[in-house]
Amino acid sequence: METNIRFTHQALVEKCKTGHSSSQYQLYSLYVDAMYNIGMRMLGNKEDAEDIVQESFVSAFKNLGGFNYESTFGAWLKRIVINKSINYLKVKRVPVVPMEDHEFHLHEEPPEQTEAVDIKKVKIGIEKLPTGYKQILNLYLIEGYDHNEIGEVLGISTSTSKSQYHRAKKKLLEIINEL
Amino acid sequence: MDNFEKYIRENAAKFDKHKADKEKMWANIAGELKTEAPKVIPIWRSPMLRVAATLLILLGIASFVAVQVFGATNDESQYASKELLDIDMHYKNLVSYQVQLVKDNPNLTEEDKAEFLSFMDELDAEYEELRLEMQKNLDNEQVLEAIVSNYKQRIELIEKLLKQINDSKIQDEDYGYTL
Repeated sequence: METNIRFTHQALVEKCKTGHSSSQYQLYSLYVDAMYNIGMRMLGNKEDAEDIVQESFVSAFKNLGGFNYESTFGAWLKRIVINKSINYLKVKRVPVVPMEDHEFHLHEEPPEQTEAVDIKKVKIGIEKLPTGYKQILNLYLIEGYDHNEIGEVLGISTSTSKSQYHRAKKKLLEIINEL
Repeated sequence: MDNFEKYIRENAAKFDKHKADKEKMWANIAGELKTEAPKVIPIWRSPMLRVAATLLILLGIASFVAVQVFGATNDESQYASKELLDIDMHYKNLVSYQVQLVKDNPNLTEEDKAEFLSFMDELDAEYEELRLEMQKNLDNEQVLEAIVSNYKQRIELIEKLLKQINDSKIQDEDYGYTL
């Protein structure tokens, strides 16, 4: 049934393509909180998150004709929010990846045997991460992107994404263990 | 993926802790969307179909201008604007039908496309001149007639092109348009 998931809210999306405003509002209502949370995770403050999410919905509705169910509408919209967030951070010259050598780890590290931890501690730990670590960690762990997708979003290679993610995760676990 | 990563990904929804200011954000989004002209769904892929789609927009603009011209409150002008709307709808349907036929016909050479586009460009330029004339001479019936003639030429152009392609695919049940 996986192929059908892509067509979630298809009727609503099709109505929105014709510019039907109450359908646009319905679709917006379904996704606004999720998108706002992504914005908050990526940008860290309410005003920026609101601006980016608003821009993303406007952009999505204006370009909805180009959406042809290659992914779910939610995944498509999420990508817009993430791309806009990253662009915004780049304009503000906030590092979106750590400043250290990008190609330090060229091979994947063996999986670390970490115990399941308290989600609250993870949230606190992510908040405390240095600038540049948060985005890559959020994208992989919470947004569920793979390293190819992260590479595209951040404009880095897949191997850089892997190495930077491993660093970020290591740092996160250190912070959590100190809590 | 280690246990920690699996655990976080499985509980990703728990990281959505913020609630968006839904109504305030929607007000801004709706405001942005209202300032945009209605868009044709870009199911049109080829350059020629895009030009044809542009025709529909031009017809819309022209009918709007025409309605403004005859937009006075007396009965006669109301009748005139209704008549203009009917003419506009007639041409819109004609163009849409032909666009659909072209869409269904893949047997089109690059030369035909280029020729078609160059004629369309000429008619676009002519239309632009007429539009400017219309702004200066809002009550000039001759200008209006010239605009209608311009549309007719466009339709004729599409018809000639269609004849070149393949008449055999024209079927009554295909009549209609997608908007």
